[in-house]
Amino acid sequence: MARLLEVQDMRFAYGKTEVIHGISFYIEEGEIVTLIGANGAGKSTTLNALSGLQRIASGSILYQGHDISKESPQSLVKKGIRLVPEGRQIFPAHTVEENLLLGAYTEKSKDAIRDRMESMFNQFPRLRERRKQFGGTLSGGEQQMLAIARALMTEPTLLMLDEPSLGLAPIIVDEVMQLLASFKGTGLTVLLVEQMANQALEISDRAYVLETGNMVMDGTSAEVAGDPRVIEAYLGNV
Amino acid sequence: MLQTLAFGLSIGAIYALMALAIGMIYSTTRILNFCHASIIMVGAMTAYWCIGVYHLPYWVGVLAAIIVNTIINFIIYYTCLKGLGDLLSNVNWIITLFGMSVVLNNVARMVFGANQNPFPYLFNGASITVGDATVLWHEIFTIVFAVVIGVTYQQICQKTKFGRALRAVSFKPQTAKLMGISSNLIIQLCFMLAAVVAAIGGVLIAPTTFASFSMTTTIGLKGYAAALIGGLGDTKGAFVGGFLLGLIECIITLFIPAGLKDAVSFVLMILVIIFLPGGVLSAKIFTHGRSATEKV
Ligand SMILES: Nc1ncnc2c1ncn2[C@@H]1O[C@H](COP(=O)(O)OP(=O)(O)OP(=O)(O)O)[C@@H](O)[C@H]1O
Ligand SMILES: [Mg+2]
Repeated sequence: MARLLEVQDMRFAYGKTEVIHGISFYIEEGEIVTLIGANGAGKSTTLNALSGLQRIASGSILYQGHDISKESPQSLVKKGIRLVPEGRQIFPAHTVEENLLLGAYTEKSKDAIRDRMESMFNQFPRLRERRKQFGGTLSGGEQQMLAIARALMTEPTLLMLDEPSLGLAPIIVDEVMQLLASFKGTGLTVLLVEQMANQALEISDRAYVLETGNMVMDGTSAEVAGDPRVIEAYLGNV
Repeated sequence: MLQTLAFGLSIGAIYALMALAIGMIYSTTRILNFCHASIIMVGAMTAYWCIGVYHLPYWVGVLAAIIVNTIINFIIYYTCLKGLGDLLSNVNWIITLFGMSVVLNNVARMVFGANQNPFPYLFNGASITVGDATVLWHEIFTIVFAVVIGVTYQQICQKTKFGRALRAVSFKPQTAKLMGISSNLIIQLCFMLAAVVAAIGGVLIAPTTFASFSMTTTIGLKGYAAALIGGLGDTKGAFVGGFLLGLIECIITLFIPAGLKDAVSFVLMILVIIFLPGGVLSAKIFTHGRSATEKV
């Protein structure tokens, strides 16, 4: 299978403090890949770099064979890379519908936007009921669904999610994970970042473990989930 | 009394336009544009040169003011703000903007001279008499223009794709970028809109203050007061703050020495900031106890 994304020896620094010390990983087309790491490991930093929000210090990010490490977030959205950011970042004073319209900001065709919105509402009936409600009034689970729907408005190729389970009740986390699992086979490629990784490993094909800016382990999800160190550090509260 | 009311409301309309422009820039950048008063002055002086010195038509003067203001606002954005990095995490913009306003005032004095120049009213100063009161059409139109501009801006914010993006940037530029919005472009458009509003406000107030390099020294500060009284970045609030301030000033001069007028405005502003930090519209009677999430 072709590699959709290939990160090579990526380093990242906030000012003079390097926090990502040359990591390499890849994602194949159609895969679900989980990136596990503790607080401060550099997960969000990695995703922000991949989505163009921040510039890497060195290394390369190849997407569909081209280096995208110097591109703007707008151009990456147009190329099909979408990030569902940590903490969901729903626009609280925009209605649900407006949040979805913002998700489709780069889409020019009104018809395409309408169709996409309709299909999102079919997939997430709760959002249809609340279409005129402000984003800030939704429950945490609804906000996460909205954040994902918002990112899907441009039919992305690579969907990246930064700790989508953060702060959600276990039953809602199940729902989110089932949703992500359902993307399997639709052509969508998923990079999932999690701290507590039980369910993420269940639905993903492969996994990487990031520790204080270094990639310390990789393998199939089953291999990673079976590793004693991973079990102790990341699969604790089952 | 009607005469005082009309004058108060027309001054209030000018304050409202200032507060609106200050709010436009605040909502996307979280900075207070301390140059705004100077920009109004530069625009009005430009218009004065076109109309008063070169005898060009009024609309040419307004257009020239809009163009000059836009250019200056872009210069301000690129020299005083763009290079400072994250504007939320440092306050260097206070210094750069204050510095720039001094530069603008000095340069204006050098270029335009220190004279107080008369500036034409709309409709050549025609007025309408109601009972024993004489109200200038200029005053009436100042109020109408201000309200039309405010309503238009509000509609743009609520109903258009640009407005949606503007409010998104206003919430968080980073998140807006993830939607594919160029936060930078939206911020620049806000600076442009603010420049246009400043130009219009400038030509409308110039007949009252006269056109000079110091025409906005006092009145400019009132714009910030109105913005804070109404609630920063809140369009409705800008108008409530502006009209309230204009009216109170005019009515209060009937009872206290005119020299204290400006002090009253700022005492009012301080009281509002202390008791209603979100502006008068954040008071319970307006929000019915709900928090005012929907701004702009
Ligand atoms: N804006 C910033 N400026 C300076 N250092 C930062 C900044 N953001 C993050 N860091 C540092 O970079 C390192 C990686 O942070 P990052 O947010 O990527 O971690 P994370 O794996 O996403 O953690 P979490 O699970 O808490 O979200 C941490 O040491 C953090 O303190
Ligand atoms: Mg993080």
